[in-house]
Amino acid sequence: MQGFRREGDAYVARLDAAERAVLLDVVDDVVSLLAEGGPSSVARGRAAASHPLDALRMEAEDVQTPTDPALRRLLPDASVDPEVTAEFRRLTEADLRTAKTDHLLRLRAALMAASLDVVVVPSEAPRIAAALTDVRLVVSERLEVRTDADADALYHLIGSDPEPSDVADPRAQVARRFLATVYVVLSLLQESLVELMLEALPEVGSEPG
Amino acid sequence: MSTVTASSAPLEDVDLGEAAVVDGWSTVVWNDPVNLMSYVTYVFRSYFGYSTQRAEHLMRQVHEDGQATVSRGNREQMEIDVQAMHGYGLWATVQPGTP
Repeated sequence: MQGFRREGDAYVARLDAAERAVLLDVVDDVVSLLAEGGPSSVARGRAAASHPLDALRMEAEDVQTPTDPALRRLLPDASVDPEVTAEFRRLTEADLRTAKTDHLLRLRAALMAASLDVVVVPSEAPRIAAALTDVRLVVSERLEVRTDADADALYHLIGSDPEPSDVADPRAQVARRFLATVYVVLSLLQESLVELMLEALPEVGSEPG
Repeated sequence: MSTVTASSAPLEDVDLGEAAVVDGWSTVVWNDPVNLMSYVTYVFRSYFGYSTQRAEHLMRQVHEDGQATVSRGNREQMEIDVQAMHGYGLWATVQPGTP
């Protein structure tokens, strides 16, 4: 794996076939996660339900807070006030799911390219970076990363020698190490991409006073 | 979402006394262990149009204090900002008042 660097007018990273396959799997998982409990599945339930007018009445109903903590990372509460949060979800959550899914599908398309290179044009980079964030949020939640120290520990985990005999559940440890590797690869990809995006941003000028 | 928006005034341009009287709300971004410092800086620069200095200051405030007020305005504007932050993968909330 090689992080993003500028090549002509594009940002280019390099992933081997195995890395690419793993990342595609994870991206697809997040796309599926965003489809869960979303407006489309709710609407399908409604259509089957009963009277057409019920759909109108239900429009005004609250959108439930996601129960999956990983999905809640993608669609977080917008306020400490439950009423404000509920209203915000009702008004914006469907759009947010659509936008995030679109970002992920763009990342997916970049990963699906035929060559070893993952090519991102600068105009597309913010959406790709947002998609990488969302995938990292979901993977980190699966790894139960709660603090900065937890996140740092992932780097140590993949850097250390595996000692499965030391742990109660060697298979879980192998799975955790694998997921931690995925997280670190995603982080390196995002960090290298964002560095290039920051370089390309025009400076707004120094602050007065 | 990637374009610079004029939906919220940069902090340094807001008259705090006046903003507090006129329907003052704010957008608060919360720390999380996942978002990269460079990415948070990028979001503050590209979305709010803040200078590097301002964006990095706010990013460090989020990282070290756990939260930072990143914009102020009326409730509708703040909800647009919060939705945008969620689009970027940052956790933000709207709050009444302009601390």
